[in-house]
This record gives sequence, structure tokens and C-alpha cells, in this order.
Amino acid sequence: MAEPAYIVASDNETTGEEKSSAAFPEIAIGIDIGTSQCSIAVWNGSQVELLKNTRNQKMMQSFVMFKDDTPSGGVSSHLSHEHEMLSGAAIFNMKRLIGRVDTDPVVHASKSLPFLVQTLDIGVRPFIAALVNNVWRSTTPEEVLAIFLVELRAMAEVQLRRPIRNVVLTIPVSFSRFQLTRIERACAMAGLQVLRLMPEPTAVALLYAQQQQQTEHENMGSGSEKIALIFNMGAGYCDVAVTATAGGVSQIKSLAGSAIGGEDLLQNMMRHLLPNAESLLSDHRINEIKSMALLRVATQEAIHKLSFQTSVQVDVDLGNGSKIRKVVGREEFEAVNQKVFDRCESLITQCLHDAKVEIEDVSDIIAVGGCSCIPKIKNLILKIFKREELYKGMNPSEAAACGAALEGAVASGVSDPFGNLDLLTIQATPLAVGIRADGNNFIPIIPRNTTMPARRDLIFTTVHDNQTQALIIVYEGEGNKVEENHLLGYFKITGIPPAPKGVPEISVCMDIDASNALRVFAGVLQPRSSHPAIPFMEVRMPTVDDGHGWCAEALHRAHGASLDLVTVQKKI
Amino acid sequence: MVLSGSAVTASQICGHSTVKNSIWSLSPTWRQRSPVIRCCNRKVREEQKMGKNYYELLGVSVDSQPREIKEAYRKLQKKYHPDIAGQEGHEHTLMLNEAYKVLMREDLRRKYDTSIGQMRAFFSRNTSNLGFSSWEGPFRQHALFVDENACIGCRECVHHASNTFMMDEALGCARVKVQFGDDEQKLEVSVDSCPVNCIHWVDREELPVLEFLIQPQHKEGYGVFGGGWERPKNVFSAAESFNKQLKHQTANEYQQTKTAHVTVEEETPAQAEARVNARKKIEEEKFSRLWDWAKEAFMKDMWKAE
Repeated sequence: MAEPAYIVASDNETTGEEKSSAAFPEIAIGIDIGTSQCSIAVWNGSQVELLKNTRNQKMMQSFVMFKDDTPSGGVSSHLSHEHEMLSGAAIFNMKRLIGRVDTDPVVHASKSLPFLVQTLDIGVRPFIAALVNNVWRSTTPEEVLAIFLVELRAMAEVQLRRPIRNVVLTIPVSFSRFQLTRIERACAMAGLQVLRLMPEPTAVALLYAQQQQQTEHENMGSGSEKIALIFNMGAGYCDVAVTATAGGVSQIKSLAGSAIGGEDLLQNMMRHLLPNAESLLSDHRINEIKSMALLRVATQEAIHKLSFQTSVQVDVDLGNGSKIRKVVGREEFEAVNQKVFDRCESLITQCLHDAKVEIEDVSDIIAVGGCSCIPKIKNLILKIFKREELYKGMNPSEAAACGAALEGAVASGVSDPFGNLDLLTIQATPLAVGIRADGNNFIPIIPRNTTMPARRDLIFTTVHDNQTQALIIVYEGEGNKVEENHLLGYFKITGIPPAPKGVPEISVCMDIDASNALRVFAGVLQPRSSHPAIPFMEVRMPTVDDGHGWCAEALHRAHGASLDLVTVQKKI
Repeated sequence: MVLSGSAVTASQICGHSTVKNSIWSLSPTWRQRSPVIRCCNRKVREEQKMGKNYYELLGVSVDSQPREIKEAYRKLQKKYHPDIAGQEGHEHTLMLNEAYKVLMREDLRRKYDTSIGQMRAFFSRNTSNLGFSSWEGPFRQHALFVDENACIGCRECVHHASNTFMMDEALGCARVKVQFGDDEQKLEVSVDSCPVNCIHWVDREELPVLEFLIQPQHKEGYGVFGGGWERPKNVFSAAESFNKQLKHQTANEYQQTKTAHVTVEEETPAQAEARVNARKKIEEEKFSRLWDWAKEAFMKDMWKAE
């Protein structure tokens, strides 16, 4: 087993056993790290099993508590009361923070959390700190996630009685590749190797494919294709996928996602209940943190109750002299969050449109994730599809972890004599990747929703006469302008043979493999000659590290248009 | 900096759907024939089976329904997808994805069909005109070919192997009618009996090109060779250079026919005029480019041969 170079094992006591277990394929475990909750599942040889922690919980809260000198995560530690998590000592919602720069609106929204999030708005990593004995102690989202993963890993190792090395993690659709590297980094810090990072709805799609295959076996069915829409909304993210399933193969036709979720509903509701919440939220004085925690817990409870009843009485004493006593109706809650619900709706319609699927063609609609039990969400989905019912065969909170565990088993090369693992996910790219050209424009080379593995190329040319260098700046995203997209990296092609502008042909080719690794090839083409004048370049992306927002700015300032490229016009 | 309509251009170049008259190497047909990243590894190029047909790749018939294509695609994916086959499956899966994409989209498939259909028509047309030899029994590695330039019309071969050779009375020379129409002994005798040694064993792959080139009539509608040349003096060297060109030019040729095809099928009257003008211009320019090039490359060979 080749040792990946980047593993920074923090507690790697398992190296001795490594060789003996190498003979058998190590079954990767599936982890679904949610913004608020987390679960872990594994293929146990005949089926997927969810692991429970010592308190017999399948769902563990995703947070890390910094107390004294030993941080402890939600896997092992027990909260006496919900308020404890909101004392400022616990970092949570790290999935909303990881890999985001301080200009990101999602980071700004996180400033109202009880722990400290500071931004300088220059495109670097936000400053995050937890309150330990009345001292703000700095940390990073990666560190927090790694601590949490170490706990998960330890728990799984105890239960499975074997070292755990490989994992399949679920991630939001809207995560950029830079964010994925941060997740991988956190895994490496926890001594875990990432086998696959799969978008959450695609994990659910794989579970669905398995369920369909089993029903087919039972009914001896013909195995016709079924199209399903998967809607997954948790605390931090909302993701949608359209999948076509037949014979255990789940083919992802389109993906759409956005960083909206229960957290937004909660914050909107808090602002609704306490109109001047903003100042209370942002100052982080000790008394205010307490008041905020009280308000947050009360609001959360109210939202939960509104899923089952049409109105709820909110009665909370914030401790600073102000009391909130209010009856909130379901309509009120829905009106306050109209924008969030509208966004959900647009994600679904966009996804259907991208998949070129009509609503009548969709056999099953699967809604999973914590927010899927909100009546408004259910209704809006049913309304779009003009249906009466959603798919019922899945546990909304466990589906993603189960799917990840299946993928873990398939990608580990495990086979099942009963054909239960005769499965495959054919993934699609959630975001377009391309380069900057034609000024400030983003030119996608591999468009969104391209089947993976994928490889595409485009030809570019120079802007100036005798231009000998070209800067290839790789971005990911959907915007037309590069500023709207995520910078992944940059490199320079040098030694372009001098020629009038528009003559040299610079081919930029991108290759995404099944494990979602992106390589960029670039080189100058010489028509009618098989040998290149200058060596081609092969670059693994992303190459940028923290502070990449700054990089983009600096690139802009230092090079401007001098090393520009344009796309090749149609030559006639 | 200049950047007219650039974003649009980019997406057009990227998509297969647009007419690309830019450069031969960019043409989708060229890419279909050798799905190679041109900017990168040559290793891939070697590994790839050149000119593998999408239908063959997916193991479906040309008239198969989308349903069958889907099923075949899934079956193959289960075999070759890197999740199952490991990293080695990467290249193959890329080809499968490309083939699937083209065949599942009606417009792309139609264009693709036209392009390969054109290739077939191209050879089949010559078949009928030329008395292109047919095969008796299974395909073999080698085939017989009569260099009609050298043939003196002695009829020796026809006497010895009458099921294989025939006389073209109009031209006064022998020609292969049916490959392996007689047993091998008879064939050997007839080859040996030729007083001018004009019967050659050639590779099966070379045969269609040789038989095409040996024809003396000029053909219309086939741009490069339409200019009234006679039969090349040395058909073998001509075939060699023809093969080289074919590789480059098929791309452009198919493109042309594709344009025409699309015009017929999708044009609305409103667009007609603009399209006609644009196309005229494109064709003029392209034709002259091709013609110059062909003349240069091809004629040189011919002079050399002489």
C-alpha cells in the first residue's frame, strides 16, 4: 500500500498492523459530516450498518468543545444542556466555515454565532476563536474538523476492531475544489485518507440505486430505468440531484447546490423575534453570548415544533432585562424565510432543467436531511412535481452516510456474493472548471454536469505580437466573470515561439478522474509537427493555499493584461 | 485588448455542435477518430485504437434505440469505471462517456452518423464504380491488387484463377474481382504467371485506397481529387501520401458535408440568406486552401514518382 506523502498522522498507533491487513481490501467507512449532525456507517459484509457512540447515538452533534487544554468533540462529550454548546467554548458549523475566505457572505453570516469569527474582508482566512476560561483561543476550521474526525475514527476503530484508514466523506454540491482540499487536509490531520468525496445527494442516489436493485431482484423485474430527484437540505447546505438508475448503476444527470439551510432559517427567525438582534449578536460580550444562546435555543425549539403544529408560543427571558413572549404561526415562519424557500425551489427547477428531465419522467422524489421535515419544504417539492407523496424508503437523516458506506465498499473493491454491491455511481461535475481569458472572462473548459471522468480541451491564443509568455489562471464556478468564481491555481507557459498575435495555438486541456482529481495540461501546439517546441505542462489543481483571494488580487495587479490569452476565434 | 464575442466563441469551440472550420486538428471528427489529448501525453495516443467507432465501442448496432445504448453503456461502465476497474479504466471510461454523450443526443448523433455514413458512402461509391473487389470467405491479412498501370492485359491471371481476376475490357487490363475467389495454389500460380509482375500482395487496410486511386476517371464532388487528374503513375507512393492526407482532410471534408446536412435539416427560411452567403465564403476559402495544399503535397509526390 503506497503511503500518501501528505499524511500527517496525529495519532497513528496503527502503523504496525498496516502490513497484515493489506492483504484484504480495507473497507472504507462512510462519514456524513453535517453542519449540525454527523453519522458514520460501514459495510459489514452483508449490509450497511450505522455505528453508534457510547451513548447509543447514531447521530452525533458536530461540534468541538474547547475546555481547559483538551478539546473534545460531539462524539464523546456529553452536553448537560443545549446551552452549553452555545457558551462560546464550542465551535460548530465548521462545515460552513471551512475553506472560505473572509469576504464570503457565508462567513459573515457566521459572525453571529456564539464563538468568535472575525473578518478583515481582504480574501484571507477568517479568524476563528473559542472562549476558553474567558480567553478567546484561536483555532481553524480544519483543526476543529480534524479533532472531530479523530474522535469518530477512534470510535469506529473500537467498534470494528481494526484500524481505519480510508474514508468516503459526503460533501455539499456547492463546495469548491479549494474547500475539498481543506476537507482532505483535515482528514490527513486525523490520519485518514480520503478515498472519495461524494456530493451528499449522490450518496443518497447510490443508496436508492441499491434499494431499486433489491426490489428488482425480488420482483424479477426487467430493470427499467428510473429517474429520481434527490433533495437534501440540512443545517448548512441545500443540494439537489437528478439521477437515472437502472441495474444498480446510478447515473447523476445534474447537480445543484447552495449554502442555504436550517442555519439561515434559524437566524432569520432570531432576527424576526428580536429585531435589534444584530448588535447583540456581533459584540460577543460574555453576557450577550448567554442571551444569544437562550434566544437561539428557544428559536430552534420553536422551529422544530412548527413542523408538527401550526403555531407555537415563544417565551424566553434573555437575562438582560428583555423578555420575548410571542406566538409565532407557521405562516409567519414561512413568510420570514420566503427567500430561502424560493431559493430551494429555484435549485430544484434548475436541476431538472439541466438534466433535461420533465416532471412526469421522475419516478421518485427523495427528500432527506434535517430540513426535509419542514412542511413548507415538503409542500413546495410536491407542488413542483404535482404529486401527493415523497419517496418513503429512506431514513432522512441516515441516507447520506449509508450511501457513502456503499461507495466506500464499492471503491475499496469489495464484492458481495449476493450482488448487493453490484453498484456504481457515475458522477457528474457540480461546477464548471475553466480559465481566465478574453480579459476578465471565465471560459469554462469542462462545463457543469459533465459525466466524470471527463476530459476536454480548448484552444487559446495570444493577445500581443511576439507574446512569449501566457498566464493560465484556473477557476471553478458558474459566473461569467472570474471574480465570481473560485481561484484554483495558476501557472505560466513560457517560451512561446514569437509570432503575430492570434497565431500561436495554446491548447489547455483538463482532465478529471473518477476520484475527482483535476489535472490541467497546457502547451503550445505546432501544426504539422508532432514534436512540441516547448514542453507541455501538467499541473494538479488546486495549487493555491490559504489567502487565495489575495492571490487573485495580486495576480491581477502584477500582470494585468500583459500575459493575457484569448480564446481562438473561429478560423475560416 | 480585443475580445469580440469571445465567450460565445469559447463555448462553441468546446461544443461539438458547432461548425468548426478553424483548423483541421480542432475538428470534432478528428477528435472522434482519435480521442487524444493533443496537448499531452503521446502514450495515450499509442494506446488508443484509432478510429474506433462509437457504435462498436458501445457494442450496439447503428439503428439501436436510446434505451439499448443506455443499457450497453451501463453494462460497460460496470466493467470499466475506475471505481471498479481502478485507474486503468480511466481512458476507456473517457471514451465511453464521449460516445454515450454523442449517441444519446439526437442532434449530435445525427451529425456523427452523417460523418461515418459519409465515410462509408465514400468507399461504397467507389466500390460500385470501380468493381471494388469483394471477399470470398473470411477477411485475411493480405489481399491481391493489380497495378493497372503496369498490366499489359495478357489475361494470364484470368486463365489461372478465373474466380478471382477479371478483365476490364474497356481499359484492357486485369482487375481483382473477388479476393480469394480461388484456392491459394491457383492464386500463387496466377501471380507468378504475370509477365510484368503487376499483381501484388498488399495489406488489407491498404487495399481500398489502392483500388480507389487506381481508377482513372476523375470524380466530381470529392474536392481534393476532383480536379481532373488521371491515374497516378506510381499508385503505391500515391496511396501513401493519400493516407496521410486522408487523415488530415477527412476532418474538413466531413465538416463540409455536415454543414450541408445541417443546412438542409434545420434551416429556417429566415436564416437561409445569411447562411448561404457565409457558407459560400467559407467554402471558397476552404476549397482554395485545400486545393493549394493538395496540389502542393500530392503533385510533388507524383512528379517525384515519375
